[in-house]
Order: sequence, then C-alpha cells, then structure tokens
Amino acid sequence: MDKKSNKNFLVRFRGWFQAAATLLTNPHIPNLFKGKLYQGKVKTICVPGLNCYSCPAATGACPIGAFQAVVGSSKFKFTYYITGFFILLGVLLGRFICGFLCPFGWFQDLLHKIPGKKLSTAKLKPLRYLKYVILVVFVILLPALATNSLGMGDPFFCKYICPQGVLEGAIPLSLANSGIRGALGHLFTFKFTILVLVIILSILFYRPFCKWICPLGAIYSLFNKVSFLKIRVDPEKCVDCQKCSHACKMDVNVVDTPNHPECIRCGACMKACPTNAICYHYGFSSRKQADKK
Amino acid sequence: MKSKTSRANAMKKAIAASLAILILLAFTGCGTSSGSAATESQRQEDASATSGSLAEAKEKLNDLYQQENQIFADHQNAWNKAFGFMSKNMDDDTLNENYADFLANIIESNKDSFSEEEYATLSKDVETIRGIEEEIAKLEKEIAASDSSGSSSSNSADATGVFQGFKGKDLDGNDVDESLFAQNKVTVVNFWFSGCKPCVEELSKLNELNDEIKKMGGEVVGINTDTLDDNQDGIKEAKEILKAQGASYKNLTVDSDSTVGKYAGNIMAFPTTVLVDKDGNIIGEPFLGGINDQSNYEQLMKQIQSALDQN
Repeated sequence: MDKKSNKNFLVRFRGWFQAAATLLTNPHIPNLFKGKLYQGKVKTICVPGLNCYSCPAATGACPIGAFQAVVGSSKFKFTYYITGFFILLGVLLGRFICGFLCPFGWFQDLLHKIPGKKLSTAKLKPLRYLKYVILVVFVILLPALATNSLGMGDPFFCKYICPQGVLEGAIPLSLANSGIRGALGHLFTFKFTILVLVIILSILFYRPFCKWICPLGAIYSLFNKVSFLKIRVDPEKCVDCQKCSHACKMDVNVVDTPNHPECIRCGACMKACPTNAICYHYGFSSRKQADKK
Repeated sequence: MKSKTSRANAMKKAIAASLAILILLAFTGCGTSSGSAATESQRQEDASATSGSLAEAKEKLNDLYQQENQIFADHQNAWNKAFGFMSKNMDDDTLNENYADFLANIIESNKDSFSEEEYATLSKDVETIRGIEEEIAKLEKEIAASDSSGSSSSNSADATGVFQGFKGKDLDGNDVDESLFAQNKVTVVNFWFSGCKPCVEELSKLNELNDEIKKMGGEVVGINTDTLDDNQDGIKEAKEILKAQGASYKNLTVDSDSTVGKYAGNIMAFPTTVLVDKDGNIIGEPFLGGINDQSNYEQLMKQIQSALDQN
C-alpha cells in the first residue's frame, strides 16, 4: 500500500470523514423529532468520539459517559471493558479519532470556519494540562469516590461540564419533549452557558475544547507516542523550513515531535510541506526509521 | 509512475466504497424518514380534522349567539322593557339558572307591565331562545371535551388510560390489579430503576409522601423498571435498596409488554412520577425529576392536592 496516496486521500477528504463519522454514530435521525432515545442492543457499544448517549439520534454510548456510569455505580469499582476499549483505540488510532471521528471535534472545526478574527493559542499552552486534571478529577476520582450511602456516584463530567451533552442531548430532547422541557433547571442554564462559551471560543480559537478540556482527548493523547498510527518526517526530504509547525493549529513542533500528545493527526502539516517529507505511517516499522535517523 | 497508478487505483476504490456506503445510507435514510414523515403528516391530519371540527363548532356557537341577539333586535321595544326589570332581580341563583328560564321568570313576574301583544311575542321569543340555548349548551360541552382531549393527547400521546385493567404483582409476589387504583382518590406512581441515583435518593421522601397522603385517601406506588417481567435478581436488588432507604410503600412489577410496561419503556428521564385516578387514567402531565428538591415537592403536592379536590 502506498502511503502517500493514503495520506493525501485522508487529509483531503477529512471533512467528509468527519461528517460520515458523525452520521454513523447518530443514524437515528427521526428520533430527533420524536424526542425519544434509541435504546436497542447497539447502545451498549461505545463509539470512539465524544458523542452523548442521550442524543436522540445516537446509536452508541459515549465512552467517557459510560466510564463514569460504571465507576460510579454501586456494583462496580472499575470498568475493565471501557478501559480496554480506550487502550485498544488508543493503540490503533490515538488522537486520529479527535481529528477524524469525533463529532464534537467536527463541530468545533466548522465553527472555526466562521470568518472573523482568529486568535493563536500558542501562548496558552499551560491550559493543555487542564484536560488531564478534568480526566482524573471529574471522570475518575469524583464519580468513584463521591458516593452516597449505597455507593452510587454522579457522572460529574457529564453532569457539570460536558457541552456535548447539552448540544446533543438536552437541547434536542427538550425541544421535542415537553416533560423534559419542564424539568430544565439551573443546571441546564449553567451547562448551556458552558456550551455558548465553547462555541464563542471555538470561533476565535481552533478547537479550544479539545486542547484544554476534553478528557477523551486526554486519554487518546497518552497513546499518540505508542500508537500504530504515526506521523513520520523524512529527514532526507525535510528542508527545515518550519512551514509545518506554522500550519499546525494544535501548536505542535512537527519536525521535532511529530507524535506529540497534542497532535490530532489532521494532516495540516502534510498539506503545508513543500517537499512531501511528512506522511502517515501505520504499523510497527517506525522504530527502524527512528533508528536510521 | 507506478506510485501514481496505484494512487489512482486506491482513490477509485475508496470513492467507489464511499459511494456504496452513501447509497446504502440514502436508502435506509429514505426508508425510515419517509415512514416517519407519513405518520407525522397523518398525525397532523388528525389534528387538523379535530381542530377543523372544533373551529366549526365555535363558528356555530357564534351563529347561535347572533340568532339570539337578532330575536332581541326584532322585538326591541318589548325586550328593552323586559330588560328594564332585570337589574333588580340579579343574584347568584338567577345567574346560574338556564338563560331561557331566567328570561321567562322575569317576564312572568312582571306580566302586568306588558301589553297582551308584548307578552305574547316575548313568550314566543323565550321558547325560541330556549331551543337555541339547548343547542349552545350541547356545543359548549363538545368544545370543552375536544379541548381537553386535544391537550392531553398532544402532550402525552396515548398515555391517559395506561393503568386501566392493570395487572401486576408486588415485590413479594402477591397479585395486584386495578382495584388498587379504584380504592384511592389518587395514586402517585413513581417510575425508577436501581442504578439511578436521583431515583434512589428520593425513595425516603416518597415514603414520607405516602404517609402524608394516605390520610387524605391517596397512595404512593413504585415501579422499578429493573423488576419488570418478575425479574428475581432485579426484585432482590430493589428490595434491598428500598429497605436501605427506609421505603415501605408498595412497589410493583409488571410485564414489559403490558401497557404499563410499554409506558415505562418509553420514559426518557428517571425518576418520572405520574398521578393516576380511580379509573386508571393518568391525570395531567408526567412529573420529571426527584421530589427531594423542595420546589419539586411542592409542585407535586399541588398536583396531588388538586387531584384530591376534584374527587
């Protein structure tokens, strides 16, 4: 298989891949108008991206939501199925999922296309570590430890932070279902404010939620260095022009750290490279390349 | 050269594959969406049919009022004379009686003030008005009925008669039927499941509510969706939770394909609480969210109170 064709095709049609992934994770479109959730067997399977279980159109479960639900239930202390799912997808794809498969990533990509003043996040790099704090505190520790007398915890990230839940779950459900509309309270107002904030920031910055908040991105980012899917810079072709690093909207220095945890594999660097020195690489053989270097 | 052709091949393959997927999606999309569009339009038709007849009824009503006014206008002199006696005779009783009777009474009690001719026309007019009033009463009843059925069917769909002909068991395996609802003025049915934190946390409050409304002829009943179809594991867990939370009111298990089971399966948010009348009809809108929140509790109490007052 020729890697260059692979790269060009994926990168050129990235928007279509994102659209298709969003549609495939949310195929039950009529439910949006009925205000009902699909509750069939497939719903027990996790989808790779951040996609709310409570979206009427959703066919699967959000892995972050499922993780909190299991960890916070009185019956289980830890979830091996979902942790295994994270490791599997992390090793197979890493943050390629963020760039190509995540519906909320696509949402932010589209928002960033709205013309207007665009700001750089290069100076805000320390905020990147916030997402690891959110992962540890809101997804793992609080649901597992802040429990009632029966050992039941709340899904803290879903309940208090996640804007995707408002966008895909609360808004369409409350529009179509008068009972749910009547039950909206302060928590909805609070989370709706977060969503509005994320939308505004997404227009100004590139993918602020992915960079600073997303616990799912935080998990996948840990696997970027060991994932089968990598980005490789050919040192013989590279002319050190640094065009790639300037093209990178995730603020990664591509030549030095092509497999940086922040890289979402969007391929903007490949498009920018004047000598075709950057390409995707899939499989084990990357070590040889590194050795050669 | 070689890489170029292989690239083109790969592209073609990928395009073909994605096209195939798109076509497949288009078909499935069409199937489901056109199906739903059909039901949607049918529903709209139903709605417009009822609203059509409703509009018709209202127009007719208007027409009848006009007829009455025409009668008064036709014999203006005599009627103005009659109206002159009215203000003195107004009290609550007269306001509540049939309008024709009311007019007849006035004319009768002031018979001496009218000429014979006037009295004859007035009496004749009153009889015509009586006929019109009867029609008006009938129409008003119809409109009120279609109004209430319209509002309840539009919001909670086919939900009203859910508990009619109820059959189930309590968690100890004793049979329970619709007589449970018949013996209460109002029954508060709380839908919950064992893994739902807000549901579990309101159980003790529901127990308090049960104690409170028992005195007034009401009762709280729980249905745990993990216990449906007599699921013994689910029942065991539910019993443990109920015990731990100090809830001693009745909890029921039903078949998942019974009307109640299906109703429970369609609930999108737990806990959901509904009020049920003697006949097994759901009163008003389902109540979403836990009642351990004070404002929710007050709101539910208000609903219960108004249901109790109606009986």
